Amino acid sequence: MKKLIIFSLAIVLIFSLSVSCKKKPQEVPPPPPQVQEQPPVEKVEAPVVQEPQLTEEEIFLQKSLDQINREKPLAMIFFDYDKSLVRDDAKPVLETNARWLSRFRTIKILIEGHCDERGTEEYNLALGERRAKSTMDYLLSLGISPDRMRIISYGKSQPVDPGHSEAAWQMNRRAQFLIIEK
Amino acid sequence: MTTKRILAALVAFLSAFGLFSQQEVVLKISEGMPMINLALPDFAVRTPTPAAQAAAAEIHETLAADVAYSRIFQPLPKAYYGYIRPINPEKIHFKDWDSVQARLLLVGEVREDGGRFVFDGKVYDVRSERFIVGKRYQADKAGLRLVAHKMADELMKLHGEKPIFTTKVAFVSNRDGNDEIYMMDYDGANPTRITFNKIKDYMPAWSPDQRTIAFTSYRAGSAGLYLRNIYEGTEILVSAKGTNYSGAFSPDGKRMAFCSTMTEDGNAEIYVLDLATMRTRRLTYNSGTDTSPSWSPTGREIAFTTDRLGAGSPQIYVMDAEGSNVRKVSFGGNYHDAPAWAPTGDRIAYVSRVENRFDLYVLNLRTNQIVKLTESNAFNESPSWSPDGRHLVFSSNMSGSIQVYSIDYDGANLKRLTDRGENKLPNWTN
Repeated sequence: MKKLIIFSLAIVLIFSLSVSCKKKPQEVPPPPPQVQEQPPVEKVEAPVVQEPQLTEEEIFLQKSLDQINREKPLAMIFFDYDKSLVRDDAKPVLETNARWLSRFRTIKILIEGHCDERGTEEYNLALGERRAKSTMDYLLSLGISPDRMRIISYGKSQPVDPGHSEAAWQMNRRAQFLIIEK
Repeated sequence: MTTKRILAALVAFLSAFGLFSQQEVVLKISEGMPMINLALPDFAVRTPTPAAQAAAAEIHETLAADVAYSRIFQPLPKAYYGYIRPINPEKIHFKDWDSVQARLLLVGEVREDGGRFVFDGKVYDVRSERFIVGKRYQADKAGLRLVAHKMADELMKLHGEKPIFTTKVAFVSNRDGNDEIYMMDYDGANPTRITFNKIKDYMPAWSPDQRTIAFTSYRAGSAGLYLRNIYEGTEILVSAKGTNYSGAFSPDGKRMAFCSTMTEDGNAEIYVLDLATMRTRRLTYNSGTDTSPSWSPTGREIAFTTDRLGAGSPQIYVMDAEGSNVRKVSFGGNYHDAPAWAPTGDRIAYVSRVENRFDLYVLNLRTNQIVKLTESNAFNESPSWSPDGRHLVFSSNMSGSIQVYSIDYDGANLKRLTDRGENKLPNWTN
């Protein structure tokens, strides 16, 4: 009986020892809890092809004639009644226009002469022509080549202001510019 | 040199003399004679259908309007028809018509024939009780006005005048969007479109055969001068360089004067195109602006506008058709333009600016007398004579918008001819 007890004790001891032996690794402090590591944010982007730096001239050349004309790069000038002389207030405008034309050297323009509603159709066609001509001559004097300019007269047939007042007439006595080639 | 000059002067003198001797006759006819009373009783309708009745009424009404317009004949007052027996085409009581002072009697009959109408018109001289002329026309409903105009032109021919009632007025209208060429009857009826595009077409001028219209179009990027045969539909560009306008056919139809800025200096000069050879000759050499050529009825001279005496002050000059012998004919005032030489030769209609108003005037070349035709606070422009020189068409904004009007040589009978859109630059065949 005593033997049995000792034996069982021994077994228990061994068992317990084995258990304790087995338990020992459990006593190793557990590794710090695994932090769920986030993947670094990867920015997805198509590689940017570096565009060449466009000059204003190059941007300009990409536009259609219609687009250019809509932007009205060349300001119109106005005339006195029955006169075709370039007025003093028109000269700086033409100088600005000439600078623009010297910058865009391929541009060709049509200079349109217009009149107010007073006077006959025939007379105004001739007057419109003289206004377009004197405008062209002034641009010539500023160094714009004659083969870049053409003139046309519309007489009194294309008013910008349909009114019948002096203000309307002044608006209609004009030379305006149309870009016809670039 | 001197002999040449003397010769030129002699030619000029003789041509002027020839012109004036012609004028005197014309003047006597148009101004010295009282108008001729013409009786135009209602037409007999031989087929009693409503369509024939309506046709007879339309022809009668149109013919009566033509007669009233003529300034040669005057319709017998309506009341007078009540004083005498109604007309019996089989047996005309000329004494009746004489008693109401009718000088001419026009008797008409209308019948319907297979959907078309036949009009018989007979003209009698009342005093001598003589049949003078008879015409028979057949037309569909759309042609009834033309039937009346043809009969009215027979009356004109009877009186030794050029027909006017079948002639057309070309003009410019924006009624369909942009400026295009149209034509209409002398009285404004039957407007017909001639050019069809989105480009500005304007300043039409008839050829004397009334088949071709010269006009300016911007279709090729510049203001080119075109000739269009409106019945054949053919079109040619005759001058494209610079701005080309104011086409004017010579009375014989062989040449066309026009204005162009085709030279390097871009100055407006007058040219003449020979339509047989298509060669162009320059007539004016001047730093001023020369525009608006208008031929004398003989074809020997051309009236035109020039501001050679001072820019901004156009005046009317006359030159020989070869460009020589230039002389000023307008006087008084600083703005005279758009001369239109009357087919009678004695007068030039033109536009003058006085205190910013533009009115029509007629200058009598023989007496240097000036008659003012229009009297309105407006822009009256573009005079053009009827073939017989008794009427003019012109454009005016007197009603607010620009419209075509007709007026007689003495300023009487102002009448508006157009109403759709804006209408301008009328040109009457002559």
